[in-house]
Amino acid sequence: MAARLPEPFGSLIDRSKPITFSFEDHAIQGYEGDTIASALLANDVRVISRSFKYHRPRGPMTMAGQDGNTLVQIGPEPNRLADRVAIKQGLAVKGLNYWGSLEHDRFAWLGKLDRFMPVGFYYKAFYKPRALWPFWEAMIRRVAGLGKVDLHAHHGYFDKEYLFCDVLVVGGGPAGLEAALKASESADDVVLVDENASLGGSLNYARFDGAGERAAVERARLIAALGARSNIRVMTDTICNGAYSDNWFPLVRGNRLYKLRARCAILATGSYEQPLTFRNNDLPGVMMGSAAQRLIRLYGVKPGQRAVVVGANEDAYGVALDLLDAGVEVACLADLRADPPSGRLSDALTRKRVPVLAGTTVYEAEPSADGRGVRAARTAKVTAAGEAAAKGDSFACDLIAVSTGYAPTSPLISQAGGTFGYDDASAMLALRALPAGVLAAGSVSGAYALDAAIEEGRHAGWRALREQGKEAGLEPSLSSAKGARGISWPYPIFAHPKGKNFVDFDEDIQVKDLEHAMLEGYEHVELLKRFTTNGMGPSQGRASSMPAVRLAARTLNRTIDETGTTTSRPPVTQVKIGHLAGRSFEPVRYTAMHFRHVEAGAKMMAAGLWLRPEFYGDAARRAALISDEARNVRENVGLIDVSTLGGLDVRGPDAAEFLNRMYTFAYAKQPVGRSRYVLMTDQSGVITDDGVACRFHDDRFYVTATTSGVDAVYRSMLWYNAQWRLKVDITNVTAAYAGVNVAGPNARKVLEKLCTDADLSKEAFPYMGVREATVAGIPALLLRVGFVGELGYEVHVPASRGEALWDAMMEAGREFGIRPFGVEAQRVLRLEKGHIIISQDTDGLTTPWEADMAWAIAKSKPFFVGMRSLEIQAKQKLSRKLVGFEITDRTQAVPKECHLVIRGSEITGRVTSIADSASLGKIIGMAYVALDQAEPGTVIEIRADGGRMVKATVVKMPFYDPDSARQEL
Amino acid sequence: MKIINCPLNGPRNAQEFVHGGEFVAMPDPHRSSDAEWSSFVFLENNTAGVVREWWCHVPTAYWFIAERDTIKDEFIRTYDPSEVFRERVEFAKPPAQGS
Amino acid sequence: MALNPSTLPARSFLYRELQKFGAVFGEVNGYASAMTVGADAAAEAAQARSLGLCDLSALKRIGFKGWATAEWLTSQGVTLEDAPNRVYPQGDGARVARLSKGEFVVLGDLEGRSTLPDRLGGAWSMASANGCFRVPREDASAWLTLTGAEGGAMFAKVCGVDLRPHKFPNNGIAQTSLARMNAIIMRADRGNTLAYDLVFDLASAVYLWGALLDAMAEFGGKPVGLDAIKALG
Repeated sequence: MAARLPEPFGSLIDRSKPITFSFEDHAIQGYEGDTIASALLANDVRVISRSFKYHRPRGPMTMAGQDGNTLVQIGPEPNRLADRVAIKQGLAVKGLNYWGSLEHDRFAWLGKLDRFMPVGFYYKAFYKPRALWPFWEAMIRRVAGLGKVDLHAHHGYFDKEYLFCDVLVVGGGPAGLEAALKASESADDVVLVDENASLGGSLNYARFDGAGERAAVERARLIAALGARSNIRVMTDTICNGAYSDNWFPLVRGNRLYKLRARCAILATGSYEQPLTFRNNDLPGVMMGSAAQRLIRLYGVKPGQRAVVVGANEDAYGVALDLLDAGVEVACLADLRADPPSGRLSDALTRKRVPVLAGTTVYEAEPSADGRGVRAARTAKVTAAGEAAAKGDSFACDLIAVSTGYAPTSPLISQAGGTFGYDDASAMLALRALPAGVLAAGSVSGAYALDAAIEEGRHAGWRALREQGKEAGLEPSLSSAKGARGISWPYPIFAHPKGKNFVDFDEDIQVKDLEHAMLEGYEHVELLKRFTTNGMGPSQGRASSMPAVRLAARTLNRTIDETGTTTSRPPVTQVKIGHLAGRSFEPVRYTAMHFRHVEAGAKMMAAGLWLRPEFYGDAARRAALISDEARNVRENVGLIDVSTLGGLDVRGPDAAEFLNRMYTFAYAKQPVGRSRYVLMTDQSGVITDDGVACRFHDDRFYVTATTSGVDAVYRSMLWYNAQWRLKVDITNVTAAYAGVNVAGPNARKVLEKLCTDADLSKEAFPYMGVREATVAGIPALLLRVGFVGELGYEVHVPASRGEALWDAMMEAGREFGIRPFGVEAQRVLRLEKGHIIISQDTDGLTTPWEADMAWAIAKSKPFFVGMRSLEIQAKQKLSRKLVGFEITDRTQAVPKECHLVIRGSEITGRVTSIADSASLGKIIGMAYVALDQAEPGTVIEIRADGGRMVKATVVKMPFYDPDSARQEL
Repeated sequence: MKIINCPLNGPRNAQEFVHGGEFVAMPDPHRSSDAEWSSFVFLENNTAGVVREWWCHVPTAYWFIAERDTIKDEFIRTYDPSEVFRERVEFAKPPAQGS
Repeated sequence: MALNPSTLPARSFLYRELQKFGAVFGEVNGYASAMTVGADAAAEAAQARSLGLCDLSALKRIGFKGWATAEWLTSQGVTLEDAPNRVYPQGDGARVARLSKGEFVVLGDLEGRSTLPDRLGGAWSMASANGCFRVPREDASAWLTLTGAEGGAMFAKVCGVDLRPHKFPNNGIAQTSLARMNAIIMRADRGNTLAYDLVFDLASAVYLWGALLDAMAEFGGKPVGLDAIKALG
């Protein structure tokens, strides 16, 4: 490893633990603590990816996960950041955006065509002729795109966790550490989040004094103090990926997404070092000064052999000093400032005899012979803002380190509702306002000097405590100079006439592209961004947003504030689908007899959250089994689990009055011991639910509701009574009761064996009667109902006894040949009887008039929900009606539910239910039809699969046992 | 995610609630015109500013009233419906019908 | 003397799940209740102290609801205060959870010493109701207890309410969403051990049992029997 430096360089790596991984199938050795990028650079591998559009070679620019140059593919995962992912033994890493090999990309010639590929190129060049677009699309997708998705990749275990804290601190630099320490003095819990492996932020790599000692001293002090606080939860390697309402923050660490709610948030997110635009500023070997420092200090990697530093602030001198310490020869330091002020670092550098060229920029990076690195830096005198002299000296080097300015790491603050504005004095965005509950500290709020950052952190911690009433007294004053002025160059763009002056590295956007876009009229920054795609790539404009705004302001002769910046939205950085999907909670509800159905071979189906038996037996014999189950009910006796049916206890002196208001029928005079149909409409008169109301006491109705509707019915009842204030209590007892319906000619015989304390005879317990009785020793509610049209009893028992009830019924019915039947058989049986299923035979507009249910509307009540609308609708002409139909011609195709009823060119309705009735020997169904098609005997046409038109005849319902003699046995 | 302060259960994630529509008084069903009734059933005011709304805390099926600023997306106050509905509501028989 | 749960008419929805863990059942209030899960009583007690999940569905409980319920319960000798979402311990080991102004759940104790649930059930009738109505809690709700020091951390994986012990006091109640199911969560420390009682829709018992065990796995959590909970004191 030629480029590896000795200790103490490389604070993050453990030289005793070598790790081998592969890059482009070449074995690479690094150490534990290395990222992929640092290990590659330590092995002199400088090209990590190819650019998106021109396939230019690219290398790390920030070493902080802030550029898109380091995106690599790791196994099945595309688009991982090589400067953030730690190496592991055996990791297989590939570069992106090349065809052939990374070293010899067969599309590298695209870079020579850039004058033919201006922004908007794709929109324009391939638009006409339209017929050729599919060809171009396939071509472009092959050439462009980021990484490869492995459709067969194994789904990992991702999950989520909620977190709560009094104070959240994002950013573990000096300001964040101080803030967390102060807050922890009296907050119950503090969470400190940092995206890096090691706390300390710039203290880990930057140089604050000539000797280069202060950072380590401060860091050691802060980390030691932190260790003594048990109420600070430190989360490193954790990304705070957005800021949402009421201090809600997503934190991503490993395979877990944390959803954190903080009473107060201190955002100490720091700043990004900003690039300088010059010719070939994207070559591998051109990097931020802070990137070079990170390589040296964190990973012990020598970033080059001979460097040119271009700077506009004191930090550039620190970079040069660090390079010298690391044994890198510094050819010169080009300082954009005409008259650089003296400082501790510049004085130290002067003593090292490094040439400092004042008022000078790097104007061009000259590529090495193979085009994959830097051979020299050509400098030029700065003549005016953004302009340089045509000629200047060339300095041989393989590294150009740029330290010409900063921008606050603003996304989280902006997303939280804070605002930034441009500050001319510092030539940077500056924090203008913060929302309640959010504080900022450190360089993100303008405190660039170390002392100021520390002081501001402590201050933010104090204010967080005060907001929670845990700190009083005089607010501490802020005295240190913030150090924001004179560190950022106002116009860091030196566009060389020969081009290749890159602004956005992700999207290969050059200065001229932005200029062209503005010439075409895309002047608003949001339009400029979208037309050019500047800032829309993986690094989300961290480096390209400000240069583009500066360029636009200058071109359009506006101020930066007038030009404006683009809106920041979550997520801050890339997010995996796995994190969003997480551990999926898919609630499911079982009835008490669930396992009995499974044991009996039932095919289970979802009904809302419930599982219900669709039919029992081999799916290959589905139709025959359903038909057999139905026949056994008609001819003998069947048993179905009806536990999922909704159940509501409505109790109190106003119970009948309440039902009168909630349902269309009348309940005041309903006798105890009888049930009555209930039909619910909403205020617009649309049918929303049905069931039966069973009166067990003057003041108690047990009301059933549909499986899928009961929760909404219950909520709606509570809502109305929050206003009406009737003396009634409503309780949802759906899950409290398990229920079965035993139905068929032999149903009474089965039940008589188990129920000894109630007279089940027709006279004593007639159709629509309800009783409290004991069945198989279990207290039960008995309901004589007729949904399937045979003699039948619903038996409702406490859910804990449901399985025992099922066992007893099956045992008692054995001698009669009882068989369980599923939902499908029940649907056929009820269709034969012409009973509608709410939300299958009705839709969001069906009124009782359309469903032919005028019989269920009580006319003389003072009020019920929907009454007034139904009165209005009664005066209007119906546009459709629900009717029964039959198909007797077996040679025709069989329509399905939702197939359309068509007359000429007009759709007059649709099929809502259809079944092949074994008992009747024909196809029967229900459909909406036009009013003039509703007369029995009318022939309607239904379009079945394949467009075949099927003739059906409208008939009167019910289809089966029209006198209901069988159910009233 | 927003926090909504439930009068029964205290501050909770918005996920635990359902919105129950604008708080609108029902016109007298027997005295209002067809047009007035239709307007009540089908039209929402959709006010930009402070509105009164029904909200329900789903785990407890508890309904309450909220005053919310739709411009600032801020809940101003939440309270139990008994602050508004103090007495039993009666409905008169429809005029000139029934007997 | 191993009891087969399916020989009793009243069955917890979870008996099959507990059988998978080798539970040994005993009869409690007519239910088959998992008395032990695993062979080593000391290990099971330690499990309950770190992170255990126990089915209490066999224990006595009864619910009442209605506008005059507080008055009726008070007339029956129940000690209550006005604040909802609080558990009010009664002298004999029973606890009365006040869910709202008018809704209450009365929970019996582990040993079955308290007669309160039965006494209230016997005293109530539809005729005497007058604004206080019975709610079939014993049949509508599953009852689990989650015990052990890791409980607060575990809940963060399944619940959006802060249930950590320093933020959620003993006898506090949170009615909220637990792994996307509605649930009543009550802090109910047992002896010196942090514990939470969970009361929720019986039909979701199998689902929630699985979701909780999955979330508990990270902390080494496991099912425990009733005996281990009793041993906590």
